Amino acid sequence: MEEQLQAILAETESALAAVEARFQLDQVKAIILGGNGKLTALMKGIASVAKEERPAFGQAVNKTKKQIENLLAQTASILDNAEDAAALGKTADVSLPPSGNYVGGLHPLTQVKRRITSIFRQIGFTVAEATEVETEWFCFDALNTPEDHPARDEQDTLYFPKASRFGNVSKKSDEAYVLRTHTSSVQIRTMLKEKPPIRVIAPGRCFRRDTVDATHSANFHQVEGLYVDTKVTIRDLKAVLDHLLRELFGKEVKTRLRPSFFPFTEPSFEVDLFSSNLGRLSNKWIEIMGCGMVDPKVFDNVGIDPEEWSGFAFGLGIERVAMMLHGIDDIRHFYQNDLRFLSQF
Amino acid sequence: MKVSIEWLKDYVEVDASTEELVDVFPMLGMEVEGVEGGGPADMDKVVVGEVLTRNRHPEADRLSVCTVNVGEGQPEANIVCGASNFQPGDRVLVALPGAKLPGGFKIKKSKLRGVTSEGMMCSAKELNLGEDHDGLLILAHRPEVGLPIKEAFADTDVTFDLELTANRGDCLSHLGVARELAAHYSRKIQFPELKSDAQTVSEPSTDNLLRKVSIESENCKLYLAWTIKGLKIGPSPEWMKRRLEAVGLRPINNVVDVTNYVLMETGNPLHAFDAKKICGNEIRVRNATEGEAIKTLDEVDRKLDESMMVIADAEKPLVVAGVMGSLDAGVDENTTDIVLEAAWFSPGNIRATARKLNLSTDSSYRFVRDVDPQLTRYSARRAIDLILETAGGELVPEEIKVGDPPRGDRTIEIAPDFVRSTCGYEVTNEQLANAWSRLGFTIEKGERWKVLVPSFRAEVDRPIDLVEEFVRIHGTTEIPEARVVCEAVSRHDAAQFTFSEKAVDALVGLGFRECCHYSLRDGKEIEAWADQATVDALTLANPLTAEHTHLRSSLLPGLLETLAHNQRNHNDLRRVFESGRVLRPGPKGTTELQSVAFAILTKPIAREWDTELAPDFHEAKLIANRLLAATGIIMPKGGLRSLEGSSAWQQGHVASAGDVHQNRVELTVGFCKLSLSRDKGVNGPVLACELLVDPVMLRQKVKPVKFRSFGSFPPALKDLALVVDENVPAEDVRLAVETAAVQAADKKFVVDPVTIFDVFEGTGLGEGKKSVACAIRFRSDERTLEDKDVNAAFDETQRILAETTDYALRS
Repeated sequence: MEEQLQAILAETESALAAVEARFQLDQVKAIILGGNGKLTALMKGIASVAKEERPAFGQAVNKTKKQIENLLAQTASILDNAEDAAALGKTADVSLPPSGNYVGGLHPLTQVKRRITSIFRQIGFTVAEATEVETEWFCFDALNTPEDHPARDEQDTLYFPKASRFGNVSKKSDEAYVLRTHTSSVQIRTMLKEKPPIRVIAPGRCFRRDTVDATHSANFHQVEGLYVDTKVTIRDLKAVLDHLLRELFGKEVKTRLRPSFFPFTEPSFEVDLFSSNLGRLSNKWIEIMGCGMVDPKVFDNVGIDPEEWSGFAFGLGIERVAMMLHGIDDIRHFYQNDLRFLSQF
Repeated sequence: MKVSIEWLKDYVEVDASTEELVDVFPMLGMEVEGVEGGGPADMDKVVVGEVLTRNRHPEADRLSVCTVNVGEGQPEANIVCGASNFQPGDRVLVALPGAKLPGGFKIKKSKLRGVTSEGMMCSAKELNLGEDHDGLLILAHRPEVGLPIKEAFADTDVTFDLELTANRGDCLSHLGVARELAAHYSRKIQFPELKSDAQTVSEPSTDNLLRKVSIESENCKLYLAWTIKGLKIGPSPEWMKRRLEAVGLRPINNVVDVTNYVLMETGNPLHAFDAKKICGNEIRVRNATEGEAIKTLDEVDRKLDESMMVIADAEKPLVVAGVMGSLDAGVDENTTDIVLEAAWFSPGNIRATARKLNLSTDSSYRFVRDVDPQLTRYSARRAIDLILETAGGELVPEEIKVGDPPRGDRTIEIAPDFVRSTCGYEVTNEQLANAWSRLGFTIEKGERWKVLVPSFRAEVDRPIDLVEEFVRIHGTTEIPEARVVCEAVSRHDAAQFTFSEKAVDALVGLGFRECCHYSLRDGKEIEAWADQATVDALTLANPLTAEHTHLRSSLLPGLLETLAHNQRNHNDLRRVFESGRVLRPGPKGTTELQSVAFAILTKPIAREWDTELAPDFHEAKLIANRLLAATGIIMPKGGLRSLEGSSAWQQGHVASAGDVHQNRVELTVGFCKLSLSRDKGVNGPVLACELLVDPVMLRQKVKPVKFRSFGSFPPALKDLALVVDENVPAEDVRLAVETAAVQAADKKFVVDPVTIFDVFEGTGLGEGKKSVACAIRFRSDERTLEDKDVNAAFDETQRILAETTDYALRS
């Protein structure tokens, strides 16, 4: 009996060794385990076995059957693997480029905007937005720049015709619509909507009535910042802007606050930067941004009590920072979108 | 504004070098735009020489051999020279052996065609003294022979071109700038002493050439007039001409020059009238009448309106007040008697007039910046002194005065602690008092200090303005460094910003390059891409150029230009996008929308070993779906439907969903109209997508998602193919099947979304027909569905479809 089982096992093994395809495996399986298979036939012989030997006989047959089933499964698995591998085809030439070999990329202005916003996030600023279409009140009057103020001469503003109607840009009264000349208008809309403490930055597009050349653009981008809280000081302003400029341009840069004038801040400063690491702009003072303490009149205009709250505001040009960081000499590159430019960043 | 340092020194002691002042002015709030003059740089061994003899070089026609006297006790120098513009006796600058010229050129004793040359006679350019390189710089003023170059020029004045901020009208003069330097260096300021005097009257006496002066406009608060008789018009003295030229003014005649000189000295505009040209001997300060005409000094005929103020005589306007005089009433060479005006005009009114006339003058520029009314009389008397000195004549000793200075000195109360709390750093009372008194402010100490601010500082009128003045004069370098320490603020990024960032990241991940285009476009482009209503709504009132007349209504034209630009330049750029704002007219007016658009070049120029499959409509639709998923925007109800009659898109190859004015979201996907992409210069069709979102929608608060459990039982699958007209959208068929299946399941079990797994057109279906095959998955959360349930539901589904549609079951 034992010999017979061993013989069947040996036959199965040798038959499987020759199997190369699924149908051959099925044939082997039929020959051994099929209804008329050899092991099946042997099992049927149990009737002629003495009653007391039947359990041992059964056990021995079952053990062999398990072994055979395992062998069949092993071979099936080998066949599966071979089939899968064949389906993959020839070995790949891994050095060839993929078809459609292009990648996406962020515009350098977006990259710089993200760098700046991420620096401000470290110190608890979040992003505020407002419309690019503005009204004279939000763009000028609320920012303490009334109609007869000479500062309004300096901002060459693009106006919409008096009859224009905008569905989602609110007006103060019947002032004209303009394209915002600075992101400072976001200060006003934010302060009217939210209560202090306020700590926001507002990256966005601005417009000036400028002729396009290497340093001027019909539209450009700024990041505005506004910080309103109790007891905000000039020292805080310097600390925040030093933090920004050192994170952006490196720890070794020097900064200075140069007295200046903006109608909406008092005192007002231009921030100058001195670095040995700015290419052609190295080792001299470079104007980088404007800032100042929020003028009490601006607080009055938005219903915030200047006795209780104080704050500072600042604005810097994203193109300007990008040009300084990367040594770009012509602002028009940002709007031409030549791949040889875009792919450098 | 240009200031001469020599001139400034009349009023304040300044011994700082030019280099130092270049740093001092900006930190006082005056940007240095440029520095000029200062004479030549000091160069060793460059001296004044006199040419003694000049002979032709024996070997070269174009060269001459000269002997040059280069100073007492020095041997005559033998110099070979190529220039021809000089004679023996001329004085020139000679670079002797050992000299180093600008640019690093070293002078050595050398031989030129066999003749020894002991130095070089120089042109202006060689010494950085000008651009002239055609010949030697001949020193016409004949400085002493042997003088070093540095001392060879008398005029070593330096002029600074300062850019002043709009609030500092008080600095638009030499005295104004001198005051700032005096404050910085803690020096005294010295005003020129006045000589002439006159009695103030409100009505002229009979001696006076004027009979009457009246103010009839509320925009003039003070008007002063003097008359000088019997003067002689002529050129100004050299010193005055030189100073005027140094600050960029052209000398005209002694009287006009004096008014300009005083303008630059005190910042107060004055006007001199030829007394004989004043009709009726009367001066009226009045508003112009509508349409009143005047020919101004620049020889332009100007029409005035009632908002503008003029200085008029009994008959006609003589001057556009504060802006410019008329050609007819000006002082000329025949003038003998003049009336000198000094006045204070409202800044806002002058600004409006100057803007309307598009005419900014040195006078209007200063009046707009609020001239000190307390300085008006001083300025006029200073001018009288100078006129009498340079043009002679006799002053009628009467000052006719109408009105009063509108403002004077004022007191601001301030607690020193207010300064400290604004600054946030150590500030002593002494430092405060020191800074303010250096500015000429007077301080009365107490619990709250009373600071008296002189009238010339019009803009300093609140405690915060005093803080600014303190910080400026004390020095911003005194602000200490600090670490940022701040409390958290409960606030999130604006939803519109977050949306845009997500869209940008999603598309970059899908192989798109982000681009950035101008928002200002050409109206013709908008007309081609949109419609006349859009053109009308997006027009600007005052565009600068013909290409920038309108705001953009779509990001697509810019993207196509970028594709075309790169294609022309053989750059392999195939997929581009932009996220930005666009404007669309709607029922409630024009709306500013957030848009994200992408464009795909379907015929890339690059040749590849394994060609990329040409992108088709469905690829764009897939990317659009991914964009929506990444940004959390839900596709408007109804989904993408074929878009008819669009001006921007190619008919039959475009679909859109939603309307931005109704649904706040609008999505369009397909091919840009072929003629438009061709117009933009793109070779091959462009596949694109435009998503418009009304920012209001983004701001809606999203509730946290509530989890719904799902079963673990397997679904029962049923397929159904329907034969429909070929122009029936497959989605209609799918939706009909899904609706029928849901109805058939009758809430006893659920139906997964029905999917389309085959679309077939061809033989056996009949002309104009297609087959749409759908897969239905019935599922129960509680049990494995039995065949009889599923079959019943499937039969019912078919029955409902037969009843509600004319779709035929494919057999």
